Amino acid sequence: MDSNEDIYLSDNEEEITAEIVLKTLQSAWQNERLAPEILPHRSDMVECMLGQLQHMERNISKLPKTDLRASIHKMEISRIKFIICNYLKIRLNKIEKYCIPIIKDERQRTDSGTNYLTPSEYKYAQEYLLNMENHMKNVILNKVPGNMQSFDMNKMAEHPNLQTHVFLKAHETVNGVVLEDLVGEDEEIDLEEGSQHILQYKPIADLVKNGKVQLV
Amino acid sequence: MDPYEIEFIGENRIISIIPNFTYDKIYLICGEFGPFRAGLPMNVPLWLALMLKQKQKCRIVPPDWMDMDALENIKEEEKRSRFFTKMPNEHYMVEAKLILGAASEDVPNASEIKTVIKDIWDIRMSKLRTSMDALMKSGGGYGRLDHLTMMEINSVKPLLPAAMDSLLRIQMKSKKTTPANLNVSSFSQSGGSSQNI
Amino acid sequence: MFAEKVIELLKETERNPETIDQFNDEKIRQILEEMQLLFKMNMNDANATMDNKALWTTVQVRHSALERNKRCLLAYLYNRMNKIKTLRWEFGSVLPLDVRELLADEEYDWFTKYSSNLATYMRSLGQDTGYNGIDLTENLKPPKSLYIEVLCVLDYGKLELEDGDVIMLKKNSRHFLPTTECQTLIRQGILKQIT
Repeated sequence: MDSNEDIYLSDNEEEITAEIVLKTLQSAWQNERLAPEILPHRSDMVECMLGQLQHMERNISKLPKTDLRASIHKMEISRIKFIICNYLKIRLNKIEKYCIPIIKDERQRTDSGTNYLTPSEYKYAQEYLLNMENHMKNVILNKVPGNMQSFDMNKMAEHPNLQTHVFLKAHETVNGVVLEDLVGEDEEIDLEEGSQHILQYKPIADLVKNGKVQLV
Repeated sequence: MDPYEIEFIGENRIISIIPNFTYDKIYLICGEFGPFRAGLPMNVPLWLALMLKQKQKCRIVPPDWMDMDALENIKEEEKRSRFFTKMPNEHYMVEAKLILGAASEDVPNASEIKTVIKDIWDIRMSKLRTSMDALMKSGGGYGRLDHLTMMEINSVKPLLPAAMDSLLRIQMKSKKTTPANLNVSSFSQSGGSSQNI
Repeated sequence: MFAEKVIELLKETERNPETIDQFNDEKIRQILEEMQLLFKMNMNDANATMDNKALWTTVQVRHSALERNKRCLLAYLYNRMNKIKTLRWEFGSVLPLDVRELLADEEYDWFTKYSSNLATYMRSLGQDTGYNGIDLTENLKPPKSLYIEVLCVLDYGKLELEDGDVIMLKKNSRHFLPTTECQTLIRQGILKQIT
């Protein structure tokens, strides 16, 4: 079956293969699964892969049901769908849990064009927050004494714990990562290519976002 | 992560099989494999190998490291070294479990191999426990853990990161309550707390 | 004592962290009543506090009780919202009657809105590529095999598979089905995986 044709991504003309899209997606899934906060979306990769799957499914439907190749392709499709679904679901879970700070940060990021959420996710987040606010008003807030009826965003906000410790593997060498020490003696470490570490998420958050390290 | 997710990731590893059928190359999204020639060894992802094995369409060629001599050497090396040694395969446990589970008849000395892999795992886990203990006692802010495989790392979650999180919280609280005139350095036993494990 | 009932309410929730209980209408009504009462007492005493310091402390304590009641009520509601979300992922957009009865009317409204927001989001997925949305409640586990053997636990009726085949799901019948197509039925307790 001819799925190995190259794919062009619309926003940059760089040519990448389906295999690389899959690898990128898998690593994005793994990072999203293990990072405490929401990461910049990779909907370019998701959409691209869905296009591949669609194409593949159309081709399989032409094969007899019991064809061995059809079963192999189906198995691969269902593996990739698992990654995509799990990836998007984890993002939704974070969006729901941390919707107040995420929406607040996202507003600023959208202004500078560095948004983390896809338009659909952003819409979902806003609608989710609105529903939550209305529900709390309907059941509780509207029925409490007059001066206590407000839905206080700051009090309701739940924040991800960026100081939590995570495991990582360095994809490439990064020197001089500064670990803040509580007594003011900051420590600098080097992440050599291929080395593994456990450390606070915060100092390496940017390295996760730009793909220099992989959470494990 | 759940163990079945790690297994899922490990299933992407390429291993060798000998198919009992002949077919053209197959173009998968994760790469192209084949052609399949009955009786001739070829490479496929582990998940595909298992699937073909289940359908009795192939024999699995045990990976080079899945050999008594090689494994005994690894075991001795692991015993000797203070640090974790590099495993022949970053998903050795997943690969062993799946191949020995689905195709033990394809692996010579399968049951001995199972035992020695379990021994290696046990040695490494006990080393890991000792290292975690040392890491926490040193103040538990940072640790390096080269050569640990994903399954091994996963086995100390959520315990280790959670313990380190708690320690940090305690340190932050005690710092907040430290009166300004107190000698700060008395609280710094945990300072510069790096630990090689 | 002030704010005692609300603690009972939270303890009640904690007893069954995994499952959802009947919405406790009555207790919430009582707590809201207590709040109105505390508030009224404070209003009455507010003016007198100018000359009476002891009364001022009383007002403060009542105010704290009011805040605590509000906070705990919202926590109760929030906790239930999280459980109701799980129901959506487990049962889909149609709740079994016995589960539906555990929710307050407002909660059911919220469930419906949550469900339709989720559906809108899922429909938006893959639109550029011609996929008409992706159901994220499927494919929850890494696939192990394409087909699994299942036992039908109760009379369900006909099930049409993606390839057009129609099978009859009768109590105690066994079937060999595509893994992806029977996950929902397994979660709903209609089928049981036996392989």
